[in-house]
Amino acid sequence: MKFIADLHIHSKYSRATAKNLDIENLYLWAQYKGIHVVGTGDFVHPKWFKELEEKLEPAESGLFKLKDKFAKPIDAQIPKSCRGQVRFLLTVEISNIYKRHDKVRKVHNLIFSPSLKAAQKIQTKLGAIGNISSDGRPILGLDSYDLLAITLEADPKNLFVPAHIWTPWFSALGSMGGFDSMEDAFGDLTKHIFAVETGLSSDPPMNWRLKQLDDFILISNSDAHSPAKLGREANIFDTQFTYDGIYKALADKNDKGLVSTLEFFPEEGKYHYDGHRSCQVRWHPKETIKHKGICSACGKPVTVGVMARVETLADRAEGSKSKRWRPYQNIVALPSLIAEAKDMGTASNAVQTAYMNILSKLGDEFYILLDCPLNDIKEAAGDVLAEGINRMRQGKVEIAAGYDGEFGTIKIFESGEREHIEKQLALF
Amino acid sequence: MQRPDDLNGSQWQAVCQQDTHLLITAGPGTGKTHTLTRRIAHLIPSLKPNEKILAITFTNKAARQMLDRLTALGVRQSQVFVGTFHAFCLKLLRDHFEHTALPKDFKVALPEDITGFDKATLERISRMKSQLAVSSDDDYKAYQRYLRQNSWIDFDDILREALLLLEDENIAGQLRGQYRYIFVDEYQDSNIVQNSLLKILAREGVLLTAIGDANQSIYGFRGSRVELFRRFEEDFAPAQTLTLQENYRSMANLLSASSQVITKNTKAGIHIELIARMHGEGKLIIHQAATDRAEADYVAHQIEKLIGGLDMNTSRRAVRSLGDIVILYRLNAQRHVMGQALEHLGIPYQVSQKVKREEVYSDEDALGQNEEVLEHNVEKVSLMSLHAAKGLEFPVVFIIGCENNLLPLDLIGMKGDPQEERRLFYVGMTRAKEHLYLTHAKRRQLFGQTLIQEPSLYMADIAEELKAYEASRRHIPKADPDALQMKLF
Repeated sequence: MKFIADLHIHSKYSRATAKNLDIENLYLWAQYKGIHVVGTGDFVHPKWFKELEEKLEPAESGLFKLKDKFAKPIDAQIPKSCRGQVRFLLTVEISNIYKRHDKVRKVHNLIFSPSLKAAQKIQTKLGAIGNISSDGRPILGLDSYDLLAITLEADPKNLFVPAHIWTPWFSALGSMGGFDSMEDAFGDLTKHIFAVETGLSSDPPMNWRLKQLDDFILISNSDAHSPAKLGREANIFDTQFTYDGIYKALADKNDKGLVSTLEFFPEEGKYHYDGHRSCQVRWHPKETIKHKGICSACGKPVTVGVMARVETLADRAEGSKSKRWRPYQNIVALPSLIAEAKDMGTASNAVQTAYMNILSKLGDEFYILLDCPLNDIKEAAGDVLAEGINRMRQGKVEIAAGYDGEFGTIKIFESGEREHIEKQLALF
Repeated sequence: MQRPDDLNGSQWQAVCQQDTHLLITAGPGTGKTHTLTRRIAHLIPSLKPNEKILAITFTNKAARQMLDRLTALGVRQSQVFVGTFHAFCLKLLRDHFEHTALPKDFKVALPEDITGFDKATLERISRMKSQLAVSSDDDYKAYQRYLRQNSWIDFDDILREALLLLEDENIAGQLRGQYRYIFVDEYQDSNIVQNSLLKILAREGVLLTAIGDANQSIYGFRGSRVELFRRFEEDFAPAQTLTLQENYRSMANLLSASSQVITKNTKAGIHIELIARMHGEGKLIIHQAATDRAEADYVAHQIEKLIGGLDMNTSRRAVRSLGDIVILYRLNAQRHVMGQALEHLGIPYQVSQKVKREEVYSDEDALGQNEEVLEHNVEKVSLMSLHAAKGLEFPVVFIIGCENNLLPLDLIGMKGDPQEERRLFYVGMTRAKEHLYLTHAKRRQLFGQTLIQEPSLYMADIAEELKAYEASRRHIPKADPDALQMKLF
């Protein structure tokens, strides 16, 4: 069965997340977005875990569904065009902050669990080590290696996935808090890692340039901190609709269950380029090298972004592919496309209203972004949006790259172009 | 013999000296344990068969660490006895049981075993015992009867019984033949009973090496007598004294600041001029907060910044890890609010209990050390009392509650000796390698009261040019814009 999965999200119990990030809203927004398997996030957090136990029930093996009595009231809000099956998979992200070889390391790691029992084992273990009640993504002074060991001990079917591996501050290979290789970070246990998450600021071709990543399959998730951000990135599977199906697609090198990934344009990510946000210095890595890494505004070293970091560690030319490569499609979130078409802010009421309107006419967001015939979109939402989606599908977008924590900005239309498209098409 | 590279001139002198008793005055960060263990290893080859070195530490933990270091230097376990005074004395009582008046099946009474006596009475009795000043006090008599009925021996009596035992010249002579060299660490915190034991043992060719720092004597309330440190040369004549002055721990400006504080102690005994060997620029930051809660928030947010932010929105250059940071306080009652602030930000922390009497006074086989062995090495920010910080060092130190009734302590019936309080503050300051934060609040909730607070006078003793004042900057976590974006739904 073909399905879309977003396996890295957070609950309202994580810091700096939306207050409405509860199970009901995940259920709701997964359908708006067209996601079939969504991570629960934060399963180590005792209150969230309790909520999961209360509101979910086992469905297909290793997957959970929202109980009917909780689902019913929400179903009414969802346009018929978007209604679909939503399953939950137990996931959590841990922030490991520790010292190795005299250097401070900050690495975020994801754990997927096949059962509440396995999840609870991890919860108990980590609860004994540190504080798991303050933050849904708990901070532990625990070596990533030890976390991996704990994960495997709790249940051999747990999956351990280093998160957004290129993020400068919080990742296995990041320029500031990471290592130069997965082996350095995970030693003899590296072989128990099957997948790594590329993060928003890198796309698959960047990752294919590292031989050391050849054995890992690349996955992409939203890392959403609010329901609306679900599916910023996601994975398309075509396999058995169970935890085991997903496990096999990641763990078995010959399995073709992971079909492709849906990616942010990496330039849009917060750490694609180098620079200083506070100094408004945004540099292509070449520019950084020219300045010897020192900010021209404040004289301190700039934050080295993902592009430069990949270049540093890459041992293959651009354009090469890794053994476990998968096709991918760059996407831009539909509200951003609508905002571009209307030349308005994403958060504006007009954009929000248009978004819901289009969903109810055409179907869920992924259908609209990926598969919906352009003519249907034209009819439902006008020529400019259709053209925007067309350009996105072809990768014809202009992006001012993100840097030092600042998202990149997307531009699809030149000024005056929108009117031009409307006029031009009006001729026919 | 040539001086090895890892010892400076005075350390090397201290290692080699062999003629008389020796008192080494070792300021904070001067390589005390390093010198001590090197000296022990150096003396080992001069032992005759069946002779040993006796090394007395202040805690069991310190004993374990010293034994580890000695083992690494090639010293065999059979060549040393490393332990606290209590561990050593308990061993004596067991070895020579038939010469004591103790019941055959005597057990060591832990503080929690003892019931029916209030805390103040027990403390008074303990103080009397540690000063060998026992009267015909009724409480004392009742307490001793109670111990006897239960076949118990308390911590103080372990030492007193051992002292009685050593009045037997045969046994004392036998021990002198066995332990040719005696080492006592943290000598500034020894008491009269311990001093008397040493006077019996360190005779007839037995050489005593005591090491410590009078400026770091902080256990007076338990009967420690800092003047014993100053009296060493009289008590153990002929004796030589040496001073370790070179500090390898704290940045020069931090060292200057702590020296300015401690030199104000009029009875400062042996004054050591420390020489900074770390030449980087340290930071000494003073922060005034409106309340104890605001103070705790400030500290928690500083820590968040120091470890480079906890999430993407606050990330900065990561310079510190959790284990690099300690928060020190005068009273355990200050801990709660601090812990809450850390918890709020999800910063992992651990509370180190102040050095318990069990830890100082126990011996391992008698009390069964159930030390928690963590499978995984987990880093956390440390919270501990100033007393518990003795002997430790951290790149970043926060001392919270630098206020005039907490440092020096003078609060609701609790009043510390002003000289010792200053030493305690000095101990806290000298734990810092690179960053030292001194924080104080204008209003504080303590023991159910709201107190209006004044800054500690100790901070005024630090020259202005060494201090940086940091105002309260309200940290507002940047909300995820996405969180607001879809508020419609």
